[in-house]
Amino acid sequence: MAIQDPIEEGLASGWKHIDASQLSEDRTLEADVVIVGSGAGGGVAAEILTQAGLSVIIVEGGSLKSSNSFNMEERRAYPNLYHQAAGMKTKDKAIGIFQGRAVGGSTTVNWTTSIRTPEPALEFWTKEKSVTGLSRAELDPWFQKMEQRLNISKWEYEPNRNNQALKTGCEKLDWDFTVIKRNVKGCWNTGYCGMGCPVNAKQSMLVTTIPSALDLGATLVSRAKVIELEHHNGKITGVRAQALDEQLKPTSVELNFKAKHYILSAGAIHTPTILMRSGTDDPHQLLGKRTFLHPTLLSGAVFSDPINAHSGAPQSIYSDEFVWRDGAAGELGYKLEVPPVHPILISSKTVGYGKSHAALMENFNQLQVTIALVRDGFHPDSQGGQVHLTDTGFALDYPLTDAFWHSARRAFASMAELQFAAGAKQVLPISEGVNYLNSWKEAKSVIADMELAPLKTVVASAHVMGGCAMGEDTKMAMVDSHGRSHYYENLSVMDGSIFPTSLGANPQLSIYGMTARNATKLAEELTASSRT
Amino acid sequence: MVNYWFLGLSITSTENRFKGESMERRTFLTTALVGTATLALGLSVYSPEHIRVNKALDSEHRLLFSVLLPVFLEDALPNVETTRVAAQNRTLDAIAETISHLPQEGQAELEQLLDMLEQRLGLLVLTGSMTPLMMRSPDELISMLEYWRNSFIDLMVTAYQGLRELVMASYYACPEHWSRLHYAKPTYFDN
Repeated sequence: MAIQDPIEEGLASGWKHIDASQLSEDRTLEADVVIVGSGAGGGVAAEILTQAGLSVIIVEGGSLKSSNSFNMEERRAYPNLYHQAAGMKTKDKAIGIFQGRAVGGSTTVNWTTSIRTPEPALEFWTKEKSVTGLSRAELDPWFQKMEQRLNISKWEYEPNRNNQALKTGCEKLDWDFTVIKRNVKGCWNTGYCGMGCPVNAKQSMLVTTIPSALDLGATLVSRAKVIELEHHNGKITGVRAQALDEQLKPTSVELNFKAKHYILSAGAIHTPTILMRSGTDDPHQLLGKRTFLHPTLLSGAVFSDPINAHSGAPQSIYSDEFVWRDGAAGELGYKLEVPPVHPILISSKTVGYGKSHAALMENFNQLQVTIALVRDGFHPDSQGGQVHLTDTGFALDYPLTDAFWHSARRAFASMAELQFAAGAKQVLPISEGVNYLNSWKEAKSVIADMELAPLKTVVASAHVMGGCAMGEDTKMAMVDSHGRSHYYENLSVMDGSIFPTSLGANPQLSIYGMTARNATKLAEELTASSRT
Repeated sequence: MVNYWFLGLSITSTENRFKGESMERRTFLTTALVGTATLALGLSVYSPEHIRVNKALDSEHRLLFSVLLPVFLEDALPNVETTRVAAQNRTLDAIAETISHLPQEGQAELEQLLDMLEQRLGLLVLTGSMTPLMMRSPDELISMLEYWRNSFIDLMVTAYQGLRELVMASYYACPEHWSRLHYAKPTYFDN
């Protein structure tokens, strides 16, 4: 069955798109606003600014891929759509990080979970991080606007059996759970969101705000890696980028962009990296520090009946039973969710090889997987990671602290308890040295004593946040509470890097809502100044 | 064949710095290995016909991986000889492709590890023995992997994890290898 491809149609209709891999000569482009990055922040900003009548250029390091190339195979999706072919790791290799790299950024490959920023996080930012104007009451209209724009609504279908197990476990144990809101329209419930939506049902930036901005005359430049911002006397004066070839390796072609205003939306890690590489002002040495990951633990469970965790909406239920239980700054809380289970994902994110691994894989369709996303950045012993520049790029040094491991142990116990309550025959915490556990009683005692350590315990992340924090106090923040730079009058940051802590929730809707608020204000200012 | 990921690699960008600094070669281990590459894999003694490789030009380390695959993938590879050989060759192709998607720094690290495993001195450092991998029994190869896996030296553990993830990701990338999983992508879109 043929599916219409809105990107191919848009390109045929005359969208201004420059694929930098096809350039043979240097180029200079000008607009009112240059946006670096096309993910949750860049996409929303591009639509709002073009709607305000401003000319916009969107510069994206990744490729422009669309539904015709989304073939539901990990082997194509990972190199095409993820940073480092989905193999990015922290400096000590203890945490694997999934971050999108394509037009649409991580929204092209995320699992569609849409959650408004939790109130305890916003309250913590107000009290501890000098953030102003970001109460839930002030933000809710912006969340509402973006929920409407991206068709975010509660998933009304039956959860798949992977999510159903999470729900059943919560019901049996009388734990909190929530039916997830998803940004989908006409979803086929197939389960391949992480490989690019093959039917354009996911309302990612790729099929919503970016096409809308292009329809209004914006220019999209793909496969152009921004190297540095040029700056002089408190103003950004230009952006220099390097063209990449089809394999995203650098070519000798250089692009220069000039604008009245510049927006960095390259995501946590890359936004601070660009600023650090540019040698921009950072008197309090904040850039790249306090980078947060929601470091995530996995627990496998074998059920008698098929779970088929690859099939159906990947995430439709979550539990916040343990996220805020000890207060924001108390013990690190953890959110319980489930991931889609596909062959490369699960064969890589488990332990062992040979007979034991083959036996695990033979249970592929009986395998339920629960994940615990640890809320980092609130507890004094949870300062997150730090991005450093290296000879060839950057490295993220993220120490896993005692406070983290303490919560990890509690999280493994909660996941095992939940999985047994849901009917699991066996539970396997994904960490070296642990065997299949046959009962909650056994699990409780084994998990209490199991070795937990970097490189022994599998830790993953799909949420990169922080590194360029917002707030009014320049000792803590690089940008103000509207994302405007404290040091450069024509520079804004609109992405997850401005979060002063992690969120305790999947980040896309927080980025959408806050960007809508900040970009709307910026558009008003820029259009007012152009009239005067 | 296209695929990807998941080596134990540092988080680094794929590109050189803009200003053109030369890339500093990273050392996988600080040990400086002196001496010429030897036939540490035992190529002169044994080289199976079905591994399609020019020994002098084995830049993809196919022989090395052909020794490791049966250990990493025991019970996963098909039992029938012809399909087993085809699966191994397909996985070797996938490994080469996966490596090509790694960032430059990651490729350099992996290359250094693989080179060491093809040299007697490197083998001594990494495994405590100069015996070429091809001359080792499956049990000896398992002991080697377990030695790395349980080492208190992080570099050993990351060597094990890097190879493990490379092999697993490459093997399970191939739809031909999914039948044991009873996994298949939907076919709604097939014309």
